[in-house]
Amino acid sequence: MKHLILAGAATAVFALSAGVASAADAPKCGLANGQAATGTPINIGSIVSKTGPDDFSASAQAAKAYFDCVNANGGINGRPVNYIIGDDQWSPEIAAQLAAKLVDDEKVVAMVGNSSFVECAANANSYAEKGVIAIAGVGVPRECFTAWTYAPLNAGPRLSTLAVAEHINKTSGAKKFVCIAPNIPNVGAWACDGVTVWANENGAESSTILIDPGSSDATSVVLQAASMSPDAIILSLPKGVMLPVLVAAEEQGLNETIKFGSAASGYSLDVPGALGEAWNGKFVVNMEFQPLDAETPDNMNWRAVMDAHAGKDVPRDTFAQAGYLSARLATEAMLKLDPAKIERDSVATALSEVKTFESDILCAPWYYGAELSRHNANNTLRNAITDNGSWKTVSECAAVNDPELTDIRAFEATLR
Amino acid sequence: MSILLAFVVSGLGIGAVYALSGVGLVVLYRATGVINFAFGALGALGAFVAWNLIELGHANALAWLAAILVAATGSYAYGRLIAPRLAFRDPVVRSVGTLGFALVLLGFIGWYWGEVPRRLNLPTDKTFFTIFGARLNMTRIIALTLALAMVAAISLLLARTRVGLYLRSLADDRDLSAILGIRVVRLEAFAWGISGVFAGICGLLLANLVRLQGMQLTFLVVPAIAAAILGQLRSLPATAIAGIAIGVTEACLTAVPAIAPYRTAAPFVIALVAVATMRASLLTMDRR
Repeated sequence: MKHLILAGAATAVFALSAGVASAADAPKCGLANGQAATGTPINIGSIVSKTGPDDFSASAQAAKAYFDCVNANGGINGRPVNYIIGDDQWSPEIAAQLAAKLVDDEKVVAMVGNSSFVECAANANSYAEKGVIAIAGVGVPRECFTAWTYAPLNAGPRLSTLAVAEHINKTSGAKKFVCIAPNIPNVGAWACDGVTVWANENGAESSTILIDPGSSDATSVVLQAASMSPDAIILSLPKGVMLPVLVAAEEQGLNETIKFGSAASGYSLDVPGALGEAWNGKFVVNMEFQPLDAETPDNMNWRAVMDAHAGKDVPRDTFAQAGYLSARLATEAMLKLDPAKIERDSVATALSEVKTFESDILCAPWYYGAELSRHNANNTLRNAITDNGSWKTVSECAAVNDPELTDIRAFEATLR
Repeated sequence: MSILLAFVVSGLGIGAVYALSGVGLVVLYRATGVINFAFGALGALGAFVAWNLIELGHANALAWLAAILVAATGSYAYGRLIAPRLAFRDPVVRSVGTLGFALVLLGFIGWYWGEVPRRLNLPTDKTFFTIFGARLNMTRIIALTLALAMVAAISLLLARTRVGLYLRSLADDRDLSAILGIRVVRLEAFAWGISGVFAGICGLLLANLVRLQGMQLTFLVVPAIAAAILGQLRSLPATAIAGIAIGVTEACLTAVPAIAPYRTAAPFVIALVAVATMRASLLTMDRR
């Protein structure tokens, strides 16, 4: 009998602790009331580059996970979100067709969680004309950061590239930089120009090498960079192209003599392991968001949402963080509206009024900035360094000193 | 000047692998009349298998052997099962068939291994010599040596052995060879196997020297085809020299700022120029 009681008590304690654990892991989203939304659906669209040279769809898949969670928790004051995702297949024509379908036929109230290499140039103007605000997940080319109604959650390659250069300058006194980027218009040169302009204004210098991302000869690129005798080499390359450049640099022994840094495109949990011992403590990357494995409340909630509503095959990467944030932001903005009056105009107004969207995944609160003709609110960033097969955060959040941010900084001053 | 010499050194290693790939293509073309577009994909498949085995803790040597075996088996299987069914079609159809094979392999690699940054290390990466300010590691030296050794070995095989004699007769006239009692299908499959061995070795070297990525390795067949065309799809030494020259040219173009961002196009341009200027001689060679 005594054993039985003990066993029973143990079971109860176990069940209780399991309950506590699962409660801690349960995602919080929307109204968080546990009731499925049954009202008239609200159409929200998203365009991502899925099939093609790389898969950027994690952003929309994470946003979908969040909206699914919202729909299971009271929806937008009773109305579920009908989230429609399109794959532009890295084609501007398809991106434009998808936008027309979503905006004109599906009558979406907003675009949320977009992540595309080609969409901004193709669609930013038509979104502005039709009064659609796009709260994008990840924007890469310049056009994603110079549009009236397109506002990405990430910082973009230009700020990210400069942030890591600034960090290396601050910590090691490096003054002479070489920036290596892909020869893609409005991506590579634009990103490296940020370092050059900043360097010129701060007693440093920077040269740019543009490369074909399909090039098979990384060694020559590295030799060319080394021939300029830089203190630091900054990479603004997709990670698949970045890795061979670092391997070639290691082969030439440059990891011992030159500092290496990368824009956030190099921040992926499998990079330190793939690089190996020779790069331990020698490669700094910028991060546009909180480290993926950070145990802060909103980052934990992001992972809980993913675990509950996204398949195991959906990457838990920075794209997914961005998609989650964009969906959370849109949900919180729409929850302030009368559910009967959730239309494109009212949603655009609600989104444009977002002034302090807070999350520990971001360094600083995000704002839309209706008065601005372009959007780049995520401009305060952290850096991490390779540390025994993983990343170790090495800097506090720091504002990026890109002279191109003058308009943004002036606007931010009015917010305070 | 010294930086240009450094580029020459850096181009030598990759050029050597282009040379090896080109020779692998020519061996097959001479025996079967097929340009194997799947050459790069077969090498990629082998390299991924090797990477996987090393990750699982198997010995390096076993992984390399497996890579070569996988590429050779894949190539042999195609040569034995699919290629004979296309034997009497146009040369273009027979070559495009291998493009289909390449896409199937590429699709499989993408589906099974995905796009994760990976690195295939070889023990020879760590030993190096410094020449003109550039480090030339042992892997590159091995690639160069292998290119020369394989050209010599295949030339000997063709000139001195019975199989070589059969292969040459097949290259001269397939139908006549069959009438003379040469087992054409079996011999062609043998050529596919040899070409697969080349693909496996090249795949391993390129995965190390370039990058372990399916798409990249698959399309590295282009510079190899350029080398083969420069060798008129016939001469092994000329193909080998052309391969090395393409690698070195591509590397040296880094020194020309206006062209540097587009230098990846060098092998395509060279191949195009070669096709345009050598068209006449290629046509006269078309024996089928």
